Amino acid sequence: MATTLTIERVMAFMGLDVLVARDEGLFAAEGLDLRIAALPSDEIRSAAEGSAAKPTTNQGKLQARGESQMFQA
Amino acid sequence: MAESPVGARQVGRRATIVCGALVVSPTSTVFTPQELAHKPVALDYGNGTAYAGLQMLEGAMPRQAVTTCAAATSPAERFAGLMRGDFAATVLQEPWITVAEKAGCRLVSTTFFHGTWVATRDVSPDAYAALLRAITRAVHRINADKRRYVSYFKRDWAGHPEVDALSVDDFNLGRIQVKEPGPIPESEARWAWEWMASWGLIDGAFAVTAQIDRSLERDAHELAAAVRAG
Repeated sequence: MATTLTIERVMAFMGLDVLVARDEGLFAAEGLDLRIAALPSDEIRSAAEGSAAKPTTNQGKLQARGESQMFQA
Repeated sequence: MAESPVGARQVGRRATIVCGALVVSPTSTVFTPQELAHKPVALDYGNGTAYAGLQMLEGAMPRQAVTTCAAATSPAERFAGLMRGDFAATVLQEPWITVAEKAGCRLVSTTFFHGTWVATRDVSPDAYAALLRAITRAVHRINADKRRYVSYFKRDWAGHPEVDALSVDDFNLGRIQVKEPGPIPESEARWAWEWMASWGLIDGAFAVTAQIDRSLERDAHELAAAVRAG
């Protein structure tokens, strides 16, 4: 039985390896059911709303409410 | 990174190394990073590209001459703002570096930076090791034929005409860098923390145990390596 792991959405510029591994079945070959969860579009905030000292970020939001186990920082 | 509300910590470096470029418009009079002193540079605060931007700027001028303004998280919006003349420069990542170059923009500085994986306490060493093994295989495939995987950078931005118009030959493959994922060197984590604190971007002293789950990191990397060797 595959182990399930949910990560937050990645894009090619910082997670090309993850996307290739998913599309080429490399996670499945390791017995890993890797799920990629995306933040709902209405919850995505722009960095333009923040400041250098108090930035707005979308990273880790799903993890903070228990909907993902890993994300990239 | 800031303290996680669910006790999550960093557990290793990710495999993709990000290229960030400090970009000016085609009509800009700026040709070097030094010439951006006291000029507004748009940064997506809170993201790696923004920190990379600060590092490129501070290497070229006194800190008090570094002038930044808040910019959108989306590099598409930052590129559009640059072309409108909303600010003097911004930092872009791929595929928007390539879009900018094709539009006649100039890269006045480029840099590369690592990111990390952050995991909750319920991630098992076995699960993380499986992730690491799969990613390591992907790294080998990408490095064997980067041209084959350039389409991923376009796929993220499908529907944006500037990106749709790019061909594989437009990309500088040297800006696409991946390496086998590994542990986070403590000296580099400490330096990054102290550098951020020096800019007032983070508070408190660096504490490695609060930042990095060395147990999960070590166990998963050892498991991954043992299976690869076996």
